Amino acid sequence: MGGVRLPSPRGAFRVWQRNATIFRKYWKTILLPNLFEPLLYLVALGLGLGAFIREGGINGLTYTQYIAPGLLASNAMFAASFESTFNTFIRLKIGRIYDAIVSTPVNAEDVVAGEYLWAGTRAALYGTAFLGVLTALGLVSEAPLISSPWALLIPPVLLVVGIMFSVMGTLFTSLISSIDFYAYYFTLVVTPLFLFSGIFFPIEDFPSPVPEIAWFTPLYHAVNVCRALATGPSLGVLVDIAWILVFTAALSLLPIRFMRKRLIS
Amino acid sequence: MEAGPRTGALSLNTQTEKRTGAGTGQTTLVARGLKKSYADFEAVKGVDFEVHRGECFGFLGPNGAGKTTTMKMIYAAAVPTSGELEVAGLDVRSAEREVKRRIGVVPQENNLDEDLKVKENLLVYGRYFDLPRKLVRQRAEELLEFVQLSDKAGAKVEQLSGGMKRRLLIARALINDPDLVVLDEPTTGLDPQARHLVWDKLRQLTGEGKTLILTTHYMDEAAQLCDRLCIMENGRIIAEDAPRALISEHVSPEVLEFRAAPEALEKLPSIVEDVADDVDRIGEALLVYTSDSEAVTRKVRESGVEVRNTLHRQASLEDVFLKLTGRRLVD
Repeated sequence: MGGVRLPSPRGAFRVWQRNATIFRKYWKTILLPNLFEPLLYLVALGLGLGAFIREGGINGLTYTQYIAPGLLASNAMFAASFESTFNTFIRLKIGRIYDAIVSTPVNAEDVVAGEYLWAGTRAALYGTAFLGVLTALGLVSEAPLISSPWALLIPPVLLVVGIMFSVMGTLFTSLISSIDFYAYYFTLVVTPLFLFSGIFFPIEDFPSPVPEIAWFTPLYHAVNVCRALATGPSLGVLVDIAWILVFTAALSLLPIRFMRKRLIS
Repeated sequence: MEAGPRTGALSLNTQTEKRTGAGTGQTTLVARGLKKSYADFEAVKGVDFEVHRGECFGFLGPNGAGKTTTMKMIYAAAVPTSGELEVAGLDVRSAEREVKRRIGVVPQENNLDEDLKVKENLLVYGRYFDLPRKLVRQRAEELLEFVQLSDKAGAKVEQLSGGMKRRLLIARALINDPDLVVLDEPTTGLDPQARHLVWDKLRQLTGEGKTLILTTHYMDEAAQLCDRLCIMENGRIIAEDAPRALISEHVSPEVLEFRAAPEALEKLPSIVEDVADDVDRIGEALLVYTSDSEAVTRKVRESGVEVRNTLHRQASLEDVFLKLTGRRLVD
């Protein structure tokens, strides 16, 4: 009873597969709004606000070039957060999908791990589509939005970023009793991360302790990695990647433990 | 913690073999001193039972008796607080996955996957058992046929009636061809027609040699389906036997139910005293248990007490429950 049970990869895959089966039916209808959201930010802020940003832009990038990779990271955060909050809650409490699954050889810990993987997959899929749009937009404008071949590594990075935000969202889901509580999660966690992770302005230029605080938040590192891969990375990116991996691994067992308690009495 | 249950499982294996040798039928499930407590109450207060291969074993009792908790412990959705619970010689705690691989579960509340169509529910469920795709496809067809839902294969789950959903749950529980099927109140909330159809299917399953464990608070369901059953109340098993045997053990074969004005009812017990084995007052009725109903009716008629209505029937499990607990099964 004591201790955390480690998930079985096979069981996790079955849960991932269940979600993929359903996603395959709807992906065409749900992909569009997921592309639109980051594009709206790109157009409104990149072209609108960007017009007021003086020659030279930020760190030698035009404003649109500056925010585009960050929006890739935040898009992954949103995709994985919705999946691990509302969607997971509905499967847990309303559809009772997990109750049915855990009476098969798939255990509660596999369900949670499968959901992590699925949220990561979804984040990577949306991210890849958005990356495609950014690349295409770059071809028709004077300055490319994605200028480095390292950008090919962005989809796998978004998979990991998605898993990280899925772990966070699942942790919140495993603790709440009503779907209304997500208002707190999105207002107090997701939105501040979106605004203060260096997507729209360089957080490093702020006085201490703002940059130090940012360093301890997850999206900040995801934005760093995406921007570096889109424009040509330096070795510093490895620190951000390590941060993401350590944070995700350290937190990942907690939701497993809590969700098991909710599913198995 | 780890070594304990395993030794338990080994010793059980040898016992099972002995039992087979004695020809009393193979035991497929054993519970000993099984308890489950939650933070604020004890749901199951130490139960012992054995289920033999190929039989239908029932748990009869009112809501809150601990039946569902007992079922949940069998399919590892609840962890026993203490005691032993073994399925096919495997300890439910240490061999969780293996146990779940061998059983089918029909839960009390519908938890079909509403994002999937009827047949997809079976296909996706089959994958959780790591069954080959081809085999699952073939079984899904057969099972839909079995539960008479073949024409609904492509329908949405939400379009099904309550009875159809229950049948689909039964089909889903059979996708892994389990040795043991656990059904928690399989017909609660169904109309009489749908109930009979479910009973038919369950009888067919026992006919095919499957072992069934079911809970119910309907005594007719228990009497119709179960080879043996136990009566559960307040977290304990208070009686266990074949339905007929339970009745003959605890109550007289016949029951006369007299309905009359309260004053009249009060006079009756002393009138029938010599010929009745027992009497029980339930609201507006007096239940007289006897082996000689004619004598009872004659006595009542001769006494001149005005009786509005008399019902003569055979004793049922309901009477057993009443006798043992002083309460009715379903209020």
